Amino acid sequence: MSNAPAEQLPEEEIDLAAANEIIDKYLTLPGNLMPVLQGIQDEYGYVPKPTIDLVAERLNVYPSQIYGVLTFYAQFHLKPRGRFIIRVCVGTACHVSGAPRIVETFFEKVGIGHAETTPDLRFTFEKVACLGACGMAPLAMVNDDTFGKMTVQKVDDIIAEYSQRPM
Amino acid sequence: MVNLTIDDKQVTVPKNTTIFDAAKAAGIRIPILCHDKKLNPFGGCRMCLVEVEQMKGRQIPACTTPVTEGMIVRTMTDEIAKARKLVLELLLLKHPVDCPVCDAAGDCDLQNLTYEYQVNSNRFTDEKFHHAIDYDNPLIERDMNRCIHCGKCARICDEIVSFGAYTFISRGIEAKMGTQFDGPLNCEFCGSCVSVCPVGALLARPFKFKARWWAMDKVKSVCSYCGTGCQLTLGVKDNKVLTTIYDENQGFHNGQLCTRGRFAYQFVNSDKRLTTPLMKKNGALVEVTWDEALNAVQQRLASAKTAGDVAGLVTPRLTNEELFVFKKLFKDGLGSENYDHSAGYAHSALSKGAVESIGVAASSAVIADIQKTGLLLVVKSDAYETHPVVGFEINLGVKRKDVDLRIISDKKGKLTKLPGAKTYLNIPGTETLLVNALAKTLVDENLVDAAAASITGFEEWKKSLDGAAPEQVAGICGLTADEIKTLARDYVKAEKALLLLPLGLGYPGHTKELAQALFNLSFAAGKHGKEGCGVLLLAEKNNSQGAVDLGLYPVAGGKDAAAIIDGCAAGSIKTLYVAGENLVVSYPNRKKVEAALDKVDFLIVQDLFLSETAALADVVLPACSFAEKEGTFTSAGKAVQKVNRAIKPVGQAKSDFEIFNTLYVNLSGKPAVADPKAAFAEITASVPAYAGLTYETLGDAGVVVVPAMTPKFAVAPGAAPTAEVGKMALVTGSALYHCGTMSLYGEGPMHVCPAGYVEIGREDAKRLTVQDDDLVTVTSAAGAVKLKVKVGSRMPEGVVFAPYHFADQSVNSIASGESVTWVTISK
Ligand code: SF4
Ligand code: SF4
Ligand code: SF4
Ligand code: FES
Repeated sequence: MSNAPAEQLPEEEIDLAAANEIIDKYLTLPGNLMPVLQGIQDEYGYVPKPTIDLVAERLNVYPSQIYGVLTFYAQFHLKPRGRFIIRVCVGTACHVSGAPRIVETFFEKVGIGHAETTPDLRFTFEKVACLGACGMAPLAMVNDDTFGKMTVQKVDDIIAEYSQRPM
Repeated sequence: MVNLTIDDKQVTVPKNTTIFDAAKAAGIRIPILCHDKKLNPFGGCRMCLVEVEQMKGRQIPACTTPVTEGMIVRTMTDEIAKARKLVLELLLLKHPVDCPVCDAAGDCDLQNLTYEYQVNSNRFTDEKFHHAIDYDNPLIERDMNRCIHCGKCARICDEIVSFGAYTFISRGIEAKMGTQFDGPLNCEFCGSCVSVCPVGALLARPFKFKARWWAMDKVKSVCSYCGTGCQLTLGVKDNKVLTTIYDENQGFHNGQLCTRGRFAYQFVNSDKRLTTPLMKKNGALVEVTWDEALNAVQQRLASAKTAGDVAGLVTPRLTNEELFVFKKLFKDGLGSENYDHSAGYAHSALSKGAVESIGVAASSAVIADIQKTGLLLVVKSDAYETHPVVGFEINLGVKRKDVDLRIISDKKGKLTKLPGAKTYLNIPGTETLLVNALAKTLVDENLVDAAAASITGFEEWKKSLDGAAPEQVAGICGLTADEIKTLARDYVKAEKALLLLPLGLGYPGHTKELAQALFNLSFAAGKHGKEGCGVLLLAEKNNSQGAVDLGLYPVAGGKDAAAIIDGCAAGSIKTLYVAGENLVVSYPNRKKVEAALDKVDFLIVQDLFLSETAALADVVLPACSFAEKEGTFTSAGKAVQKVNRAIKPVGQAKSDFEIFNTLYVNLSGKPAVADPKAAFAEITASVPAYAGLTYETLGDAGVVVVPAMTPKFAVAPGAAPTAEVGKMALVTGSALYHCGTMSLYGEGPMHVCPAGYVEIGREDAKRLTVQDDDLVTVTSAAGAVKLKVKVGSRMPEGVVFAPYHFADQSVNSIASGESVTWVTISK
């Protein structure tokens, strides 16, 4: 998820060679739609529209069906994702210990809402159900880094820190 | 068989029957929302809950649960009523309940069940959906706020239509029925999804706010477009056909229609309809009375009768009864055998090919054989475009009955994408060579059926195949010898195998010889005269088969369509009576047709519209559409079906039956044919296959007639068209949304496919540096037309396709009736 290419191309200029290779690999296997889509997401960081058309044509499945699968599973993304994925837990434990305030503060400071990405592709923000570390509530993560006992002040620190990191 | 008890009734049903179907067979109704008899079981809505005693009274869905021996089922208890009420309450929680402005009201399962279960309050409250409504689509309005997530639209579009437009987007409470990328609907517009939607989430936009469902008369009829012969129900109010109504119990197709049957009925009440007779005076057509027009026609015909210079061209869209009187008018009234239909060649596969091969002008199979066969070999993927609901049968055969689908075609198409379909892309115009090479393989590999040798003409036919071996023709056909041999072996080895060929004005290459080559192949392989076997020739129009059955083509020395045109040009035909044919647009070589018509002294045209041909006439007689008359049509699958009068004639229009009859009486001095019913009685007495039929036996369902056949091998040589260097091969045919030229007056088709185009493969488009919607000039030896480009993956390199229906820049301006037209394309 964090291996998004450093530079995002506009959609129509996506190089389909990699997607074709992934499809080649699974072409004859039964039940190949999921691994192909996962492969494409790993490669491009998301599932670009032209690859959906390509998969539809080469695997002979309806594009609508692929779209259904992609929107059913939360793991798939249809838009380019940010270099840094900020995730804030809004599970029960985090909720009661103030997660809504943390979420609000991120919205305000980064200027994007849930499941959105900044235009410079630096940040993507997501509310998530439970990150499984209720003892550290309220909890936030940026890519694989974890931040427990979140406060409004810490939000500023996190943003400052990751705004400086190289893309 | 399984025995069980439903509501104290003893029921015996076959194994694997569901409780729902068992109850239905016993006359017990279980309410459903997500179930549909045509679709695979789904079990999503829980409306059909029943109690099974053996399951300790647990409630289970009747639509997905198979019966078991001794099962005791209750379909209605207080508990069940409560559960169903709960299902409804939950659905109504999100549903907008805007019935007063919903076109589905009265025909809505949710509304009807809410009424039946008296859900007059709701214990729950929740916010409604806030989905944007798609008002933009000209044919299908989608309001997902009304959707109850039954999934029927997505399932029918996948399982039967094989288009796959819909999917559930997201999941849980956010789930919504939608399209790819949640974008606009861009599909075949068959309307199947609208038909099965149990609520008003999917609506026919052309019918929007036209009438309340209960205020319409529902009249059963038959589609008047293609030869599939789908039955339909017309929704009629104030002498107008306002919509087609879905009835899942109609026809072999269970009420399924294609875009033409579903959305192209508007030609009936089109304001372009001719409403009075017209006569040419001082060079212009002016309105006249019927008396004046008929007098002029009659006088002219009387003198033409004496001079012997009259001919007639009639459309196979008319009823059998009308065609019957037309023929009487010509034979008995005018003493002429010069009559034909469909440019002659569009029926020659039947009228000449089948007649010589099986002794009768008909297919040796019926539509029902498609789902019963083991291997289906379709010649030309176009069969889907020409006969879309036959296409649905193929989809179902392949997906549900494991029919092994093989396609010989000059282009790819919808059918070639079906699961497991094997496509053999051949060079256009080489189909007969190819079919003969298949037969030759059987001969060379000793695979010929033992009984074939005793069929007349066997030895001569076998000898005629010298030089037709796969090795000798493979290159010419664009395939390898191995491909041809494999196909031949697979065909002969299949226990049952069916051959299918569409016919029509767009397919001049589908000749007598091609049909005969197919019949020969079926005899040689022992695939004749058995269930799931034979040759299915799909005649183009709603009553093409009827026209052939009634002999509406010259037999005893009369002139056929081509000779009639030549005769007009040469001055030997001076009076031409055209009923419903628009030859200027649809017959080969427009220039030649126009020049010929120009030479005719007196041109009578009887039509619904002032067609390009009618505009040239001396007298124009306004005729009635299928909705204004009664009679019968015979489908390509040989179903004789009844058409009922739904509205009174538009304006002063008269039925073709009435017009022909009047002229017949006055010119022959014989008594009139009393009415269509009397005409049908005479037909059944003269057409052997129809013997014994009556209007009563036809009923609503119609009758599939099975004529007696006598197989005979006919020598049917093929020849490859001579390619012209540096030119592309243009093949003509039908577009999915159109049938003939009549669909140009249907709103649906004209929204989706308003004008002609030329379809070009990606590689060729690149080479020609053209893209979608570019205007190009397509030039042949006969002329040039300007068409918009459609780039796609269907066409092989060097081959382009253009549909024939359109009057403007019509393809017959460049095509002259050859299987392939050699063209250049320039910007
Ligand atoms: S109109 Fe036909 S093709 Fe289009 S979505 Fe509905 S069922 Fe599918
Ligand atoms: S749109 Fe109609 S058919 Fe489709 S899921 Fe919703 S209610 Fe069912
Ligand atoms: S046009 Fe043909 S396939 Fe379509 S509904 Fe009419 S008869 Fe059926
Ligand atoms: S009708 Fe049986 S579950 Fe919907």
